[in-house]
Amino acid sequence: MGVPAFFRWLSRKYPSIIVNCVEEKAKECNGVKVPIDTSKPNPNEVEFDNLYLDMNGIIHPCTHPEDKPAPKNEDEMMVAIFEYIDRIFNIVRPRRLLYMAIDGVAPRAKMNQQRSRRFRASKEGMEAAEEKQKIRQEILAKGGFLPPEEVKERFDSNCITPGTEFMDNLAKCLRYYIADRLNSDPGWQNLTVILSDASAPGEGEHKIMDYIRRQRAQPNHDPNTHHCLCGADADLIMLGLATHEPNFTIIREEFKPNKPKPCALCNQMGHEVKDCQGLPREKQGKHDQFADTLPISEQEFIFIRLCVLREYLERELTMASLPFTFDFERSVDDWVFMCFFVGNDFLPHLPSLEIREGAIDRLVNIYKNVVHKTGGYLTESGFVNLQRVQMIMLAVGEVEDSIFKKRKDDDDNFKRRQKEKRKRLKRDQPSFIPGGQFSPQALGNRSSPQAICNPRQAAFEMRMHDRQNSTTSPFSNTNMPPNGSPSPGGGIKRKPEDSDSEPEPEDNIRLWETGWKQRYYKNKFDVDASDEKFRRKVVQSYVEGLCWVLRYYYQGCASWNWYYPFHYAPFASDFEGIADMPSDFEKGSKPFKPLEQLMGVFPAASGNFLPPTWRKLMTDPESSIIDFYPEDFAIDLNGKKYAWQGVALLPFVDERRLRAALEEVYPDLTPEESRRNSLGGDVLFVGKHHPLCDFIVEQYKTKNTEPVDIPPELCHGIQGKLTLNDNAVLPDQVVESPVPMLRDLTQNSAVSISFKDPQFAEDFVFKATVLPGAKKPAPVLKPGDWEKTNNDGRPWRPQLGFNRDRKPVHLDQSAFRTLGTALEFDLLSLSLSLSLSYLAILFCPPDLRPQESWRGPTPLFQQTPQRTAGATPLLAWNRMLQSQNQFQPAQYQGLGPMGYPQRPEDRMDRGRQVGKQGPRWGEPQPTLQVTWAAVHENATEGKMLLERSR
Amino acid sequence: PGPGPAPSARRPAPSGPPQAAWAETLRGACEPEHHWRYRREFLLRNVGELPAAGSAQLQRLVSLSMVWANHVFLGCRYPPQVMEKALEMAEGIQVTDAPVRTTRDELVAKVKKRGISSSNG
Repeated sequence: MGVPAFFRWLSRKYPSIIVNCVEEKAKECNGVKVPIDTSKPNPNEVEFDNLYLDMNGIIHPCTHPEDKPAPKNEDEMMVAIFEYIDRIFNIVRPRRLLYMAIDGVAPRAKMNQQRSRRFRASKEGMEAAEEKQKIRQEILAKGGFLPPEEVKERFDSNCITPGTEFMDNLAKCLRYYIADRLNSDPGWQNLTVILSDASAPGEGEHKIMDYIRRQRAQPNHDPNTHHCLCGADADLIMLGLATHEPNFTIIREEFKPNKPKPCALCNQMGHEVKDCQGLPREKQGKHDQFADTLPISEQEFIFIRLCVLREYLERELTMASLPFTFDFERSVDDWVFMCFFVGNDFLPHLPSLEIREGAIDRLVNIYKNVVHKTGGYLTESGFVNLQRVQMIMLAVGEVEDSIFKKRKDDDDNFKRRQKEKRKRLKRDQPSFIPGGQFSPQALGNRSSPQAICNPRQAAFEMRMHDRQNSTTSPFSNTNMPPNGSPSPGGGIKRKPEDSDSEPEPEDNIRLWETGWKQRYYKNKFDVDASDEKFRRKVVQSYVEGLCWVLRYYYQGCASWNWYYPFHYAPFASDFEGIADMPSDFEKGSKPFKPLEQLMGVFPAASGNFLPPTWRKLMTDPESSIIDFYPEDFAIDLNGKKYAWQGVALLPFVDERRLRAALEEVYPDLTPEESRRNSLGGDVLFVGKHHPLCDFIVEQYKTKNTEPVDIPPELCHGIQGKLTLNDNAVLPDQVVESPVPMLRDLTQNSAVSISFKDPQFAEDFVFKATVLPGAKKPAPVLKPGDWEKTNNDGRPWRPQLGFNRDRKPVHLDQSAFRTLGTALEFDLLSLSLSLSLSYLAILFCPPDLRPQESWRGPTPLFQQTPQRTAGATPLLAWNRMLQSQNQFQPAQYQGLGPMGYPQRPEDRMDRGRQVGKQGPRWGEPQPTLQVTWAAVHENATEGKMLLERSR
Repeated sequence: PGPGPAPSARRPAPSGPPQAAWAETLRGACEPEHHWRYRREFLLRNVGELPAAGSAQLQRLVSLSMVWANHVFLGCRYPPQVMEKALEMAEGIQVTDAPVRTTRDELVAKVKKRGISSSNG
């Protein structure tokens, strides 16, 4: 499903599921970073047991970042990945397990999406490089300045696919990284680490789910384990709910749309490649001290608390007077299932269900109406009751027609409003803007305007100039007359952006007009509406797909080779007579081998990641599978605006023919390539202090080749089989660094061994229930009967962090004085440095606190430190309050002589506040809230606001 | 070598039972009826005397039939050499009502053109 769309919808509807992460920053002392001790209590006031990393969500931003210059080479990428993991680790601080999962070969059902992404990525990458080259030439020809082109090859992000050398190298680097941290980081001391690299089949998040599912099904599992899963995919929310674990939290990057991106040519902010002029970089600040700090704010993280989402869902889904007993857990599973209708990675979404149009709410309403008639739930432990699903689908089908009509109306209205807005904007322009020395100057501009000289003469000239213009050609003045009507004569050429923007692609489906179904099938599938058989096949495949996806989420991969063989979905109203459709899958299917999958998802342009004879199959006109590799393919915009949003009409890969063709070239693999092509497994690592360490070392000493069970008492009840690993990290053996800039580990004491999840019989069903002994987490939402129950008339105080009893932070008068000085100083430097920061400080009593966008009030202590250089003093101070209450010296070098932390009265304030028991705490205190937004505003205005707020 | 358009293959499709039976095994499970009819014609026109099952020649023929069908019905474009060959082999097959598609390159070119005109405007 559209990840941002689903997530935006969810976080708007259920705002309390979001908690901002508190992140302790490394302190710096004389330019040396002091490492953070992650064995200390978690500053988020919650302790996590297990941290799972869906590594692909880390690898992509670290190798081709959106918001900063790309790393120069592979080594830098690896270091960036290490640093990213360190950051997450520091926020989450898992105490028992760290599980890293890189995507391995995916089920066939996913291949079509992967294929379409990679075919597009390859073309987009090449186009970007071409454009860059072209503009570069132009700029240099005009004498512009550009940093010398680095001798780096264009990074083809397609190499982030299992089976490539890059992925192999990444696994090596991560093994080194884990060993290093186990040896040296106190926070890792007692941690069990499992690495599931790209050689282990399965998508990363599903490998993680499989692990959790299998651990839950064995008797030694702790039902109150607190899981934290890192990754940005919206499905992680579904997957987390599907586990039915009571304590499940997701951590992800905060989604910020339209983040500024540096120009790929000159690495400066503020323009795109196509507008690059090759100007020399301007100094940031008087001595260029803000060079690296200002424009790019570090990406921040948020927690998504699934236990809070479960609270919300419980309120929403609970139904009274059902013909059967209501079971919340089952209704959660049904909710997850219905979200799949709106979109998932394996099926195109139903045309009538758009998340932006409230599709999930609509489904939930229909569900609640229909469930009275269906006599039960739609799903059970990942298996679908098709008869009941049919009732839901047909109920959606009944309103399909009106959905399409409404969509058209909304769309038309939107366009009309846009048009009016554009018109209005144009009209509101001033009719006359003085030029020359009178021309308006932006406030806060570094070069202050020069004094006006000889104003009479200048005014005279302007008058004369104007008259001249109007006498020669009365209509040549393009300024609108003040009344806003266009100047007569029609001599003004309409600018392209004024005309109704881009010409819309013709929509020949017209879902809002009768006959839409016929037109849809004709246009999308190229079949006649009368072709009942074909339509039935589409529906049958889609139903299989729904069953496959649900099973995939609840039980694991039911079939490695099933896939949905069409580019489009049927209509909800087509789901008639699906109750008796077969929904089982052939058993014993096997995943592709890594290189085979590469052949299935890569375009010929990425063939360089494959052995020469394999690559030849993608380009040779005589190849027996040349039809898999079109150079260009059709894009159906399907109602969308941009090429990347449309449906790529790529042919599906015929697995039999692919295998037949590969049989010929298999003998050409080198031993190294054969190794990369084989399927591997998970590896478990522990340090020397871990209770399991001696046990594993013993296995290596006795050269026990039989798999042994992990003694559950040694590893927090984690179960699985261990087998000696050929490529293991062993105590007292040097771990070589695969990255030249990092040193070898000469005094290693960590150990690694192959790990296999607990195995169950093939027909075993993992139960989707809450485990006995699991404690329900304390509620977070305001009880519906809060006012009615006797609470001594206290108003409800919303919970903002993990901890209900967290003390809110207030500032007293002296703190405000200190802050004011610090900020004022900062504003000064900001205005000097042509900064873009906009600052507003608002005072108000807590109950009138302004809502910060949709998330509600974010108290100061919740904001992650160091948004911009300007905020540093404030936030460093603030962090001290909520965590360790330590004195932090010299954090803000480069901020000049006003070493804010050294000020004695300030230290006094701090002491008073962390005391937390002064009599003043009960009184309503002015609360401070800082809102930052990177908009073009001048510092003076911020200063004025500051003045006013005093 | 290859499944090249041997002159004999240009004759109307031989309707011999072995060829027809062979072709029937190649029908895609989700291929719309008329797409398959055209592709079948393509296969039968070019197969000539049926080579041994699983031979490289047959595999290439199947692949080119897909190249052609993907081009006509899905809108795919292949490298020039491949396109030429497929179109040559398809000579004489009359496809009416083939869907009209816009390829990605065409779409991008359109956007670019617009971009330039608006910056000059």
